Amino acid sequence: MNKLILSLPIILIFIISIFLLIFLLQNKDPNVPPSALLDKKIPPVNLVDLFNDNKLINLSNLKNKEILINFFASWCAPCKVEHPLLFQIKKQNPNLYILGINHKDKKHDAINYLNQDGNPYDFVGVDKKGLIGLEFGVFGLPETFLINKSGKIIYKYLGPLTKKVITNEIQPLL
Amino acid sequence: MKYSLFYKKSLFIYFYIILIFLITTISEASIESDIKNITSKLRCMTCQNQTIYSSDTEFSLSIKKIIRQKLKNNESEKEIMDFLINRYGEYIVLEPKFNKQNLFLWLFPFIILALSLVFFILRIRKNT
Amino acid sequence: MISLIGFSGLFFSFLLSILIFVIYFFQNKKYSEKILYYAIYSSFVCILISFFSLMFAYINSDFTNYNVFQNSHSSKPLLYKIAGTWSNHEGSMLLWLVIMIFYNFLFSFNKTLDNNLKKLTIFFQTLLYLCFSSYVLFASNPFLVNSIEMNEGLGLNPILQDPALAIHPPMLYFGYVGFSLILSLAIAGLILDKINTKWILVTKNWTLFCWSMLTGGIALGSYWAYYELGWGGWWFWDPVENVSLMPWIAGLALVHSLMLTQKEQLLKRWIVFLSILCFSLSIFGTFLVRSGILTSVHSFASDSSRGIFILILFLVITSFSFIVFIFKSTDSNKNLNLLFLNKTSTLVINNILMIIACITILLGTIYPIIIEVISNNRISVGAPYYNSTVLPILLPGFLLMSVAPALSWQTNKLPKLKSYLFSFILMSIITLLVSYFTFFNTWGFIGIFLSLSIIGASLISFYNNYNNYGLKKFIIYNNALIAHIGVGIMIMGITCSSVFQSESNLSFSINETKEVNGYVYKLEETKIYNKKNYQELMGVFKIYKNNKIIAKVKPSKRYYNVSKMITTEVGIYRHWFQDFYIILGSENDNKWSVKIYQNPLVNFIWFGVVLMIISGLIGIRKK
Repeated sequence: MNKLILSLPIILIFIISIFLLIFLLQNKDPNVPPSALLDKKIPPVNLVDLFNDNKLINLSNLKNKEILINFFASWCAPCKVEHPLLFQIKKQNPNLYILGINHKDKKHDAINYLNQDGNPYDFVGVDKKGLIGLEFGVFGLPETFLINKSGKIIYKYLGPLTKKVITNEIQPLL
Repeated sequence: MKYSLFYKKSLFIYFYIILIFLITTISEASIESDIKNITSKLRCMTCQNQTIYSSDTEFSLSIKKIIRQKLKNNESEKEIMDFLINRYGEYIVLEPKFNKQNLFLWLFPFIILALSLVFFILRIRKNT
Repeated sequence: MISLIGFSGLFFSFLLSILIFVIYFFQNKKYSEKILYYAIYSSFVCILISFFSLMFAYINSDFTNYNVFQNSHSSKPLLYKIAGTWSNHEGSMLLWLVIMIFYNFLFSFNKTLDNNLKKLTIFFQTLLYLCFSSYVLFASNPFLVNSIEMNEGLGLNPILQDPALAIHPPMLYFGYVGFSLILSLAIAGLILDKINTKWILVTKNWTLFCWSMLTGGIALGSYWAYYELGWGGWWFWDPVENVSLMPWIAGLALVHSLMLTQKEQLLKRWIVFLSILCFSLSIFGTFLVRSGILTSVHSFASDSSRGIFILILFLVITSFSFIVFIFKSTDSNKNLNLLFLNKTSTLVINNILMIIACITILLGTIYPIIIEVISNNRISVGAPYYNSTVLPILLPGFLLMSVAPALSWQTNKLPKLKSYLFSFILMSIITLLVSYFTFFNTWGFIGIFLSLSIIGASLISFYNNYNNYGLKKFIIYNNALIAHIGVGIMIMGITCSSVFQSESNLSFSINETKEVNGYVYKLEETKIYNKKNYQELMGVFKIYKNNKIIAKVKPSKRYYNVSKMITTEVGIYRHWFQDFYIILGSENDNKWSVKIYQNPLVNFIWFGVVLMIISGLIGIRKK
């Protein structure tokens, strides 16, 4: 009995170290928490078209499509860096519906930005006050979400997309 | 008879302390103090380990605005917290929820405290 | 060139340590002891050369050294260039090594212990040094050289350019790393079965020193956070803070337990356990901080391969130590004289409460990691958790602290019991009055009552001691009281500065005055300064009471040219009983938004801690 109590510290040390090792090897970024919306249905919000005030879509009406949602803004530098990659994704996945949401930005600046750098999006929604971003748990730009055919959010990425992330994490899901 | 006195004393002390805990502070209920109260329990997602209350980043300011609006609409603290947890995850709340997953976290300290005190009392008894 | 000298110093200290390790096994040879000691002295000199080479490189802004390039800039003021040596990961690990050898070096002059015990301790300390120096040599080398020629460095985070923060790591390491010697003493003592009075005396002295340094290091960190981070707080239950607190608590339990053994009572096994625990917690803490798995205000640039190295070091060192502990620890046959309540039992309760507090902090810190591994869900365990668990657990301890030094070892009688009871009743009345005249707050009530009780009871004990012993052996009889009064004062400071803090958000235009709690604040003017590496916009405030000026406070904002960061410098007027804390916000339409905190008795926190450190240091004795 005594020896058991005495061995307690070592047992604890091993158990704790195993958890820490597993965590370390998963290479998680402490600044990027896993999304709270994974496996949940896409929020049923309305989006007004950036280019046409009268055009509106409701996100829950986009059924049976794989969707990639990308939150961006004209003032966001990393967004500009990932911008060309969005065209690539579109080329590799012609059936993918790419939705851009212009977050906390001025319409005028956003339209100029897309006219200048190109528009990879099938639809661009306006989120001037950031309320749409709030529904998605966005707290920094850019953020990218993947939605599967049944309308569930299956993936979130925080930060500018890179070729590596696209090949290793996004492509396998499409 | 030392032991009944001992039990009485310790019971008294703990009861006293628990009683004090049960008496909540009466402060002026105002939206500002509610905002301070709620945002002190929330994590600023764009900072390195700070509360939304103590941070002035864009994220924190927008959350503060949203909370102010919700308080004006008479939403309760729980509703506001649940709203944020549904979107940002439990990570945004600094106090771990008291649910099955965190049961060990909340109870373990008090259980070993109780066990060690019991053990201690038994040793004292054995000594006399 | 300087990097080469530095690296050679490091490498030779490593080689010499291998020599010490090997020579230990040739005890019988004639010159082995001489070689052993000279190897220690020379490895100390080598690591010093290494450390000062790095410092020299910083002072000269030698950007051929990669570490200097990454963390320094030629426009940095000299003091911060010097402090920059240890303000980064690799440099701080080098400082760790210096201090580790330094303890070995100092210990080699010990005359109290048996020769065998002394040499075995040196052996294990050297072994520990070999572990950590191989980490630095292979995974954290500060002497890497730039392959391209660089004319300028990348600069240092401006909030780290601060005097308190400059001394904070060295002081912290004298505590943290010093516990390695305690571990070595414990393992050596276990193996030779020499945990006797001499061992206890030597361990007690070293533990007191390390613990006092650690207290100072932690306090400096808090003090810095208070005046630098700008929201009047000084403890955030940040993972890095928790990680420094755990060895501190274990060290405190050890210091108390070592006292227990001086009066015939013996808790050998427990003392050895705590001795091993302290440094285990230090290594564990280092792992958590440097592996990058925690979010903290305090994170170093991190790398998971470094993390794995330290985790392996942690596993190896602690499992080895605890295995020796399992097989070689024996207990004394004497039964503890536990009564309700004598000094022995209060010391045992102290240990129980401290260890549970330590376990709780550990649990809270790693729980998010465990949950994330199991369920991929990230939770936060922040201040609310620790305030609801650790604080209530410590409360009975604070209460007992007031009378514990006066209790007897043998009986459960408290001499002059009536005077203590009178003191408690008086203090509760005072507390009730204070609450009545200000406002009632649970923690405020508890904090004030506890601190008054501790101080009151300790003063009574002082008086009794003076009556019984005069000023003879003053320190031996009264040292505990000094430390406890320090704790009481600190609790008073903590309670009042949090519960009774006043916060005001005001807007000022130039020459406008506003009143807060009887004090009048006036924004006189704003000034702009151009300094060596930053530009400063300063608001000059005057504080008046009863129409007389009592202070001039100058909060400011700084823009650092190199890192392009804006920092807010708080303006503080420190008064014995209150701090006036002003933060300059943003300007709109010639009106400045200003935050003013009035923190009552906040400086008592620092006074209390200084008393604790003094008490720890003067407790170091020859007998």
